[in-house]
Amino acid sequence: MEPMIQMTGVHKEFKVVNRREGVRGSILDLFSRDYQILHAVNDVTLNIMPGEMVGYLGPNGAGKSTTIKMMTGILEPTSGEILVNKRVPYKNRTRNAQDIGVVFGQRTQLWWALPVIESFKILKEIYRIPDQEYKDNLEYYDALVGAGSLYHKAVREMSLGQRTLCDILAAFLHNPGIVFMDEPTIGLDVSMKGKIRQLVSSLNERKGTTVILTTHDMGDVDALCKRIVIIDKGKMIYDNDIQHLQQYFGAYRTVKIQFGRKTEEIETKALEKQAKEVEGWLLEKFPQAKSTAVSVEDKWIQILLNEDEIRMMQAVNCIQDNRRIMDMNLQEITTESVIRKIYEGGIA
Amino acid sequence: MSTSHGILPRIKQNLALMRGSIMEGLVFRTSTLALIIGNLIYLVIIYFLWKAIYDSSPTDTVNGMRFYDTMVYLVLASAMFNFLNNFVVWDLGRGYQSGEIVEFLVKPIDYQRYLFWGTSGNSVVTFFITFLPTFFAVYFITHGSFALGINLVFFAVSVVLAVTINFCMDFFVGTICFYTQSIWGVNIMKEVVISLLSGATIPLAFFPEQLRRIVDFLPFQAIYHTPLHLLTGEGLVISDYMKAIGIQLLWAFVMLFISKAFWKRSLKTLTINGG
Repeated sequence: MEPMIQMTGVHKEFKVVNRREGVRGSILDLFSRDYQILHAVNDVTLNIMPGEMVGYLGPNGAGKSTTIKMMTGILEPTSGEILVNKRVPYKNRTRNAQDIGVVFGQRTQLWWALPVIESFKILKEIYRIPDQEYKDNLEYYDALVGAGSLYHKAVREMSLGQRTLCDILAAFLHNPGIVFMDEPTIGLDVSMKGKIRQLVSSLNERKGTTVILTTHDMGDVDALCKRIVIIDKGKMIYDNDIQHLQQYFGAYRTVKIQFGRKTEEIETKALEKQAKEVEGWLLEKFPQAKSTAVSVEDKWIQILLNEDEIRMMQAVNCIQDNRRIMDMNLQEITTESVIRKIYEGGIA
Repeated sequence: MSTSHGILPRIKQNLALMRGSIMEGLVFRTSTLALIIGNLIYLVIIYFLWKAIYDSSPTDTVNGMRFYDTMVYLVLASAMFNFLNNFVVWDLGRGYQSGEIVEFLVKPIDYQRYLFWGTSGNSVVTFFITFLPTFFAVYFITHGSFALGINLVFFAVSVVLAVTINFCMDFFVGTICFYTQSIWGVNIMKEVVISLLSGATIPLAFFPEQLRRIVDFLPFQAIYHTPLHLLTGEGLVISDYMKAIGIQLLWAFVMLFISKAFWKRSLKTLTINGG
């Protein structure tokens, strides 16, 4: 099978002016020829097969968007080769566009003032979707997520979740071969996140669409992607199955606790002392839990646990036995923390 | 745009976009109301302004126009302004600044065409809601100061061309915002230049001879002066109409070409340097 996306040694450089300080600097900048080359994407080689769902992760400014813009043909690589569906995207941008769908979380391609069905009708003409295909898709959407009840609601009256849902449906409407999703679940509550993940997974399964997903939420990746590519500072640092990564986040949980809310109790010094105590209690009771780590972060005591070694509730109970917990918070695992672990663990 | 597709799907695309924007134009009723009220205030101001000008003149006719002709012209020009006025410069400038333009660049349709048809409905709505009522009001109040005959046909054609030229200018100016990083100043400059040199605020007949000659060689007069001249001008014959429309058509093509070429070039820098 031919890969859907083929990137070979792709580089992307940007020329940026070296900015100087102050008003005088700003004036000098107007005449400046002092440029600096920024390597946004550095030697990325990647093959993605049809129907694959790939999580494309990296911290802010890592080069994720740049890569995606190159795949969609909006940016031209400085060097290297990209083939999307056997076409060079930036040379055949409009032709390439026919075969891709894009979802940008927090933005919408839907017509703000109109019922969503009108946006769909416009998309039908823009992508020249055959009548039958269009009708089938609408019916399928209705069966899948009950979208029928949303069709006649104006986009501006929708909740963020409903709008995101409709944006995803819109991106799949013309049955594209590839759909790019940029943080589709950002800002959504847990149940809506679940619904969106379910939807994307069903659409991928039914239509065999290749999905490239960028996100900061490890939950998205965990629910959707079998394969993960991680990029940092323009370089690919990881490209493998999610299973390989699981050891870095799978069994890990982060619990945040506070023993009090008074200022003297959440001062950094006091917190550090409390953290030491907590660590002591946990080590005493669960000596086998070697990877337990307690730290202080932003007025909270943060406890990182490996559930294979120690159950989260056990740990919480142990702390509770020693001191009354005032507030507690279970953290989502962010891709950033996984990336940090990759660096620490030195796997690639 | 790929040429392998026929003309019919393109027309269907355009109509779908127009339909959408008509519906959108109908949603914002309050803004239409504000437009009408603002317009009325403007008309009161120009009435007194020009009254003062004519009162201070020793003759009834200034530059070949009576007070009455001037008012008819300016009322119709302000009604035209309502449907020619659009937010293309802002759409483009903001789209670039916020990166939202990317949404449209990943669609299999030329952005200029998308934007033209996607905003055309607003002009259509404003045409019916503000221009036509003004048109009939002026006609009946003045007991038919302009003819209702063949001139209407040419006026209609001329308005379509005016909308096209105006859009291309806006699109061009909007693309300039890619380089200036600011929209407001650029847009104000465009509005001042167009409203003055097109004859929207002062009939071209009042321009000094030299300036008038320069303006005749610029595209701006094709936006307001030409359609209004074709509508209200007296003693025009078919060849006059054809000549005016011909010049407008030429400007439409020139502006379309220039705005498209500039856009293509700017897009090229965008794909190399990023947004």
